[in-house]
Amino acid sequence: MSDPPAAVTDTAAALRQAFDRSFAEARPAAPPAVEELLAITLGDEPYALRLSEIDEILAARRITRLPGGGTALLGIAGCRGTIVPVYDLRALLGCGRAGPARWFAMTADATLAFAFETLAAHLRVPHDAFVAHQTDARQRTPVRDFVRLDDELRPIVHLPSLIEALQLQVPATGNKRNSER
Amino acid sequence: MFSQWTFAKRLAAGYGAAALVLLLIAVVAHRSTTALTENDDKVARSYEVRAKFRLLLAEMIDAETGQRGFLLTGDDTYLAPYQAAVAEIKPTLNAVQQMATGNPEQERILSAIQPTIDAKLAELKRTIDLRRIAGFDAAAKEVATTKGKTLMDQIRSAVDDVDRQEGETLKRRIAQVEADSQWALGIILWGGFAGVIVVGMIGWLITRSLTRQIGDAVGHVQSSSSELQAAANQQATGLREQATAMSEITTTITELLVTSRQIAESAQRVAQIAEQTAGGARTGGDAVDLAQEAIGGIRRQVDQIVAYMLELGKKSQQIGAVLDIVSELAEQTNILAINATIEAAGAGDAGKRFAIVADEIRKLADRVALSTKEIRTLIDDVRSAVNTTVMATETGSKAVDLGSQQFGQVAAGFRDISGLVSTTTEAAREIELSTKQQTTAVEQVNLAITNVAQAAHETETSAGQTLQTASELAHLSTNLARIIRPQAAA
Repeated sequence: MSDPPAAVTDTAAALRQAFDRSFAEARPAAPPAVEELLAITLGDEPYALRLSEIDEILAARRITRLPGGGTALLGIAGCRGTIVPVYDLRALLGCGRAGPARWFAMTADATLAFAFETLAAHLRVPHDAFVAHQTDARQRTPVRDFVRLDDELRPIVHLPSLIEALQLQVPATGNKRNSER
Repeated sequence: MFSQWTFAKRLAAGYGAAALVLLLIAVVAHRSTTALTENDDKVARSYEVRAKFRLLLAEMIDAETGQRGFLLTGDDTYLAPYQAAVAEIKPTLNAVQQMATGNPEQERILSAIQPTIDAKLAELKRTIDLRRIAGFDAAAKEVATTKGKTLMDQIRSAVDDVDRQEGETLKRRIAQVEADSQWALGIILWGGFAGVIVVGMIGWLITRSLTRQIGDAVGHVQSSSSELQAAANQQATGLREQATAMSEITTTITELLVTSRQIAESAQRVAQIAEQTAGGARTGGDAVDLAQEAIGGIRRQVDQIVAYMLELGKKSQQIGAVLDIVSELAEQTNILAINATIEAAGAGDAGKRFAIVADEIRKLADRVALSTKEIRTLIDDVRSAVNTTVMATETGSKAVDLGSQQFGQVAAGFRDISGLVSTTTEAAREIELSTKQQTTAVEQVNLAITNVAQAAHETETSAGQTLQTASELAHLSTNLARIIRPQAAA
């Protein structure tokens, strides 16, 4: 059997060297001021989530659909012994439809989960890479700022505003049902 | 009906009619002439009868004259007329009797006069004898008895009767002769005139009919000779062209002969080459059989390669499945690292070191994921290569099958070639033989064509002669037409 190609050998050697170097280098005294982001893809559009606004990333699991609730409410699912509503992040942001959701992003208070398709990468971005939204309607949109990555502006979904909007919709729906009764 | 008669029949009829007229005239003339001749004979006989009777009377007178002279003189010399007459009287009487035969009147007269003549002659002899014996007186006395005179008068009367009778007969016969002569002359004159008219009419009729028909025939002959002249001209022209064509055919056949010989030589060479080709085809067939066996070995090797490649493809799929597990593990590790990072962030300062470890784990998971992607790419490449190889191998296997089949066909083709080359050899030999026979036949054809060309040349000469004859015939018909119908020919 012939020997492996040189590129593969070099890659393996680099990985081994990097792995060894991580044990050889001293621990950094103070980590650089960065913010943790999670690069996701909704449909064909790139987005980012702040890790600080997420409690946990879970693999998607069986969703039980519920009557009503709009198109964004996929249903309810059991996560770590708790029944939480699962919303389609793509529908909430008005992106085009693609494949089924593979991941749940639990909110910081672990009261609901947002489902999305693709988890692209875990990013550590310095603060100067953020760009604020310039419109007047900034307070009403779930996207309030962007992050510049390789000459690309990736919108950052502001989950608390989404949760607030959903919480505002629930009483309204409940009032509507009461009025119908 | 007359117009339907032939030329000979018309001439025969014309000449027959003329001959009939002439024969009629000749018969009539002959009968007239015969009658005239018979009448002439009868006239001459009448003259002769009268002459004989007068001669008989004269002889009787001479005998009496001599008797008287002797009686007077007693001289015998005077008896000479008597003696001569006595000697002649008998034959003359016989002649008269013969001439009178058939004439009853004359026969009666002769039968009556004959005793008288005998008695007269006896009286003359008795008186002469008396003179001599008894003298003059006795004799004179006897004479004076007038017996002798009476006998003589009777004889004269009988002769006169005969003469008168013959004279009347003669007159009648002369009149008959004259009448016959006039009749004969009339027959000859008017018969000849009528014959001339009849012959002239027959000649006019024959001439008119023959002139018309011969003129028409001559006209036909003229037109026919003109057509014959034109036909002879065309024939001569055609024969000249035929002679030229025959010459060209002879040249072509000569070239064909040369070509046939070349074909025979080529066929011989083809036969030789075909034999060599048959040997080469047999060798090629053997080589193809060996190659077919080698292809069978290749076919088995290719089948093994296909089996190995399919096994390699299965292994690659298994590697892919394992890689999916690794990739999923890397992803789950990444998720766990992310969650660990979140947990570390939630732990505050106590989680910072944990965050560093989680970050290392996340990096390691990213690298694993990256390597997994590379491995997947490589696996995909391997699987693609395997699929391509399998497909290529199957294609090669099919090609090998096709090649094997084609080699089989090639082997069969070589066998067919060998058989066909044998057939070709036989055919080439047959071609050679046939071409030689063809060469002989072409030589014979060439000879025949030469003879035909010679015959065409002779026919051309004959056509020229025919043309000349036709021209002469046209000239002759023109002259004939001029002779028959001068006004028409003019």
